[in-house]
Amino acid sequence: CGLLCLAASSQHGVLRDHPGVPSTADIISTVEFNYSGDLLATGDKGGRVVIFQREQENKSRPHSRGEYNVYSTFQSHEPEFDYLKSLEIEEKINKIRWLPQQNAAHFLLSTNDKTIKLWKISERDKRAEGYNLKDEDGRLRDPFRITALRVPILKPMDLMVEASPRRIFANAHTYHINSISVNSDHETYLSADDLRINLWHLEITDRSFNIVDMKPANMEELAEVITAAEFHPHQCNVLVYSSSKGTVRLCDMRSSALCDRHSKFFEEPEDPSSRSFFSEIISSISDVKFSHSGRYMMTRDYLSVKVWDLNMESRPVETHQVHEYLRSKLCSLYENDCIFDKFECCWNGSDSAIMTGSYNNFFRMFDRNARRDVTLEASRENSKPRASLKPRKVCTGGKRKKDEISVDSLDFNKKILHTAWHPLENIIAVAATNNLYIFQDKVN
Amino acid sequence: MEFKLEAHRIVSISLGKIYNSRVQRGGIKLHKNLLVSLVLRSARQVYLSDPCPGLYLAGPAGTPAPPPQQPGEPAAGPPAGWGEPPPPAARAAWPEPERPAVPDAPWVGGAEPTATVTGAADAPQGRAADAAEAAWGRVEGPREAAARGAGSPAGGSDAFPEAPQAARRPCACPSGGEDRRGAAAASPGADRRCAPPPSADESPAPPAVCPRKRGAAGVGGGPAGCPAPGSTPLKKPRRNLEEQPGREEDDGAEEMETGNVANLISIFGSSFSGLLRKSSGGGREEEEGEESGPEAAEPGQICCDKPVLRDMNPWSTAIVAF
Repeated sequence: CGLLCLAASSQHGVLRDHPGVPSTADIISTVEFNYSGDLLATGDKGGRVVIFQREQENKSRPHSRGEYNVYSTFQSHEPEFDYLKSLEIEEKINKIRWLPQQNAAHFLLSTNDKTIKLWKISERDKRAEGYNLKDEDGRLRDPFRITALRVPILKPMDLMVEASPRRIFANAHTYHINSISVNSDHETYLSADDLRINLWHLEITDRSFNIVDMKPANMEELAEVITAAEFHPHQCNVLVYSSSKGTVRLCDMRSSALCDRHSKFFEEPEDPSSRSFFSEIISSISDVKFSHSGRYMMTRDYLSVKVWDLNMESRPVETHQVHEYLRSKLCSLYENDCIFDKFECCWNGSDSAIMTGSYNNFFRMFDRNARRDVTLEASRENSKPRASLKPRKVCTGGKRKKDEISVDSLDFNKKILHTAWHPLENIIAVAATNNLYIFQDKVN
Repeated sequence: MEFKLEAHRIVSISLGKIYNSRVQRGGIKLHKNLLVSLVLRSARQVYLSDPCPGLYLAGPAGTPAPPPQQPGEPAAGPPAGWGEPPPPAARAAWPEPERPAVPDAPWVGGAEPTATVTGAADAPQGRAADAAEAAWGRVEGPREAAARGAGSPAGGSDAFPEAPQAARRPCACPSGGEDRRGAAAASPGADRRCAPPPSADESPAPPAVCPRKRGAAGVGGGPAGCPAPGSTPLKKPRRNLEEQPGREEDDGAEEMETGNVANLISIFGSSFSGLLRKSSGGGREEEEGEESGPEAAEPGQICCDKPVLRDMNPWSTAIVAF
């Protein structure tokens, strides 16, 4: 599929004071489409959430369909200080998850390391005018001046999008929250930190159930931590969580209140011939995602993405190498901390393709049916509006062909950790540091 | 040889990361520090198990079979999991901090992330420290070696358990005479330069107090004041296994001792000269860490007794400061 650059990179931080010099606060930390795909939410390190909305079809501007423009911006989390532990709590938004839409307003959950917030985003396009007791400025009228009564009427006004925090779910996590996931019952959701997973009801903020606890009695015996967790898309009693040891556990909440004993355990035996100092690090799973069908799940470790059939625990059904050429560079990547980068992955709406990011602003897409994969780049030079993206290739050895990039000239500061795929159409959102790129499949 | 250098380099990089994580915004990241400690442990295992005549070694690591040396792929061997009987060095070297019985209420347990890191980092660091301290232990070695009876274990696993105590008490180390008495003791290791028997290695006993008395007592049970868990039959067979190879190495290495001790310390010391001579803030932090006990103001800072610390060489002091 040829990817057409639909919206030329809309700089996420365009409203910042120094657009030329990206500040750390502008770095995008999460990207998520809502259930219809009309809204795209991004969170950044500065604790802000920016929501983009897809333009409706407009006969006078036929090409504007599909463009995403800023819909709402608000500060979700602020930096906090934990006085008890003398620790600063970062305001960085770790994850955003949308709730299914039930009325005119939109709801999303956003979380930093410690606190989850439920935000309501609503539109206001009408205003009441003609009050009796106050005039148009809002000042109270002198009662003696009122000589007649009138009924206030609603008049249209410029669209205003308001975001207000409706629930704050705090003080339930000792460790850093890495995942949130809304249940298919639309009433509960889970939040996971390094060692525990809690179950919440969306209406109740002062209590949560602990359903998974991996904390050992003696912390010196700590061997693995939870890295990601997600609810099954259809079965509200099923959840999975991945670990730093490269394993995934599937839990059924019907079997017991505390899901410390898994129902299924997914682990691929390690290849002993590829053992190195860094084997454990690169096997740590950074993201786990169910397919839309609920039949499969995908895990991302440092060098590969694996597709698992939920019915087979012994090994994945597919393994796709993302950037195998980095295997010989692990020591350098350890030194510069890149080996700890947590890449996410995503499915397309029909589960026929998967996507994940890499370095040098490259991202990879794998067509599962056609068994093809492509490497694309998200950069300003390549993203003129309506220009097609050209496939890129990394030269792993030998003579470098024209247009290829050698491994040594990859820019490891340009990493694509967060990507999202529209739930219904072939539109993708790619976060490259502080820039958001939106690409759409070419429609002829 | 290059594996050793590589492993050594990775050890120092890892320790630097753990050190830096303390000042990171948002608190210590448990996941990252766990991974770093795993790398640290692997690197140290490789470092210690690579039999290289150039640098003094304390014998093979705890693994029964030395890992095969493949170019570019130093195998760390079956890593001792966290869940196994804890690495003896860790327990022996770093008595557990006083941990209040904390119900897992959210914020109260908050001290744990950092304590965890220390705990998690301590074990490999303890092992790393032992490499240097094994050298100290070796200095005492010859006297005891002569005193050793037939059944006593050789240097195979002595790197971990005995070394810390030896390092800490070079002066307090009982003379060879005392150890001769202990040489015939059933518990292995009691005769080695003031080292507690292996069973005690697994106890979080303050090691400063134990060795001397234990040497006198000569038995693994240990004196009062040195809580020692019940016998650990697992330990003994392992030692016997390593006795032969260790012994040879021990004998061969004796002549080179003092030179290699200085060599080892200079290599490790130079890696950490930056840490030790950091800005006054860093140096001050280390001092603070040393002086405050388990109830340190800085979370997860210290879990060692003060008197123990003062006897350590600067390199292990840097690690303790983490």
